[in-house]
Amino acid sequence: MFLFFPVPEIWKTALTSLIGLVTLIGLMTRPFRWNEAIIAMVGAAVLLLLGLISPADAFLTLIRDWNTFLFFLGMMGLSALAEAAGLFDWLAVQAARLAGQSAARLFLNVFLLGTLISMILSNDATALILTPIVYLLVTKLRLPVLPYLFACTFIADTASFLLPISNPINIIVLSRFPLDLWTFLRLLLLPSLVVIAINIGVFVLLYRQQLKLSFDINRLPSAEASVKHKAYFRYTCAVLALVAIAYVIASALQFHLSFVAMAGAMLLLIGALSWRQITLRETAKRISWSIFGFIAGMFVVVRAIEDTGLTTIFGKWLLNLSGGTNFGAVMVGTAGSALGTNLINNVPMAVVMNSALGSIEHAPTAIRHGFIAATIFGCALGPNLTTVGSLATVLWLLMLRQRNVDVSGLDYLKVGLIVTPLMLLAGALTIWLLL
Amino acid sequence: MRVLCCLDGTNAEQIAKAAEMLSTIQPLTLSILYVIDIGPRAEMDHLRERFFRSSTQRLPHEQEMLESEKSSARDILNAGLRYLAHAETIEREGRPGHEIVNVAAQWQADVVLICARAQYGGKASIGPKSVGHVARFVLDHAPCPVFLVRQLAREKFPIAR
Repeated sequence: MFLFFPVPEIWKTALTSLIGLVTLIGLMTRPFRWNEAIIAMVGAAVLLLLGLISPADAFLTLIRDWNTFLFFLGMMGLSALAEAAGLFDWLAVQAARLAGQSAARLFLNVFLLGTLISMILSNDATALILTPIVYLLVTKLRLPVLPYLFACTFIADTASFLLPISNPINIIVLSRFPLDLWTFLRLLLLPSLVVIAINIGVFVLLYRQQLKLSFDINRLPSAEASVKHKAYFRYTCAVLALVAIAYVIASALQFHLSFVAMAGAMLLLIGALSWRQITLRETAKRISWSIFGFIAGMFVVVRAIEDTGLTTIFGKWLLNLSGGTNFGAVMVGTAGSALGTNLINNVPMAVVMNSALGSIEHAPTAIRHGFIAATIFGCALGPNLTTVGSLATVLWLLMLRQRNVDVSGLDYLKVGLIVTPLMLLAGALTIWLLL
Repeated sequence: MRVLCCLDGTNAEQIAKAAEMLSTIQPLTLSILYVIDIGPRAEMDHLRERFFRSSTQRLPHEQEMLESEKSSARDILNAGLRYLAHAETIEREGRPGHEIVNVAAQWQADVVLICARAQYGGKASIGPKSVGHVARFVLDHAPCPVFLVRQLAREKFPIAR
């Protein structure tokens, strides 16, 4: 609209900021339980309709981030098709068999399995596919459910910055600020291992009583029973091994990771269709299509805000807050990202931080790397703080508790509040030492 | 006296002993209750929303999960029947604290027997965290007296004055 009717720049800036703010508040509060994708796309559509961002600019913004979209698709495809092969069930049963009837060893095995799956197939696969399988496993074994459930949900994020492909957030940030594999590993591998160790240590301490139990492995079916089709299962294992190697090589060569994810997913799809293990319709059902609308909407909204210069101001403010030191960069980047992920989910926070960090491109390399690593770290680990949802949900739960209403969600929240600040602090300090 | 005994999978023996104590006062009509906690599944739904999956979509293995929960509940109630052979069994699904007080009201219980928290073989504890959130809720909301069962912890006394 404003493309045809000239309006002062100040009005355009104010209106864009307002729409951006309303979109972010919408994501925080989700009125009427609206899907995030709808909120983000409505925000983008309003900006487009009012001419606050041109269609060409919006189109170019989306095209520029094709790697992120394709990676999300490939990643979800890989997980869905590996699940169809029964791989996750097989791995979970093996974890139980290797535990030798000890609840404590099974607990450690769940952590290790979650780490492995997050590392290669992303946190999405651990949180959404492994968690229900582990829940089923421990229910069958008559073990207390909560320690294992939390082990899965937490390790999904805790182990999600071991490699660039371990979390789509990493891809979003690295698409804008490429780091070679060596720099990524130098800055984030050791912090990953530190926070994984803290996560396991604190959980073992918290659940030490429950972990003294033993279980009867005969309550479980054999690992082979989880395999739906032997040939497709072996084929899936081989393809995933190749994909893991290809990921490392592609990261080292700074080749687009989405190509690897998509190629792996295509190979699995061909195998699954040939062995009639899944149909195209079933595969499509297992993919969250709304996420593409959500990301696209967020990219357009943030791009429009970027044009107003607000994100640059935010970036400069972050830089000032860091005092221009490496330590400050890591601490401010981590705290800001972690807090933001709990307010508006980690995907939009990564997009906002990406835009804000555009203004630190001329800062010294160590500070720039500090901010980039801290953004990945904070956005990946931050969601563990409030596993019950966003900070808004948590504040609501606390308010209810104050009014003597029993809220079981708070029991879930306690775990996050105990372990996550400790992990954030230890991880941030480790990143700083490695800069 | 109508006594509602709340089982949690770890406390059948303790609850049975407490019921036996009460039976010396007057004859009891017993019922044993186990509630399948829907909290973990709600947590998994939250997780699906965080990863942009519809919460209305079925969880993978949902049917198997339900069957496994039911089978676990049957095992726990059967374990209770080994100690309290003539008790009526009640199985519910929901938030344990809420279900217990509602069943207590519906069944017209005179007393609710409940353990302070699930015991996994550790030592008895006293203090503010010794009562779990389910027992706490039942103490606060039950429509009848609540008999809180806990392990003997005499060795922890005297406490600081």
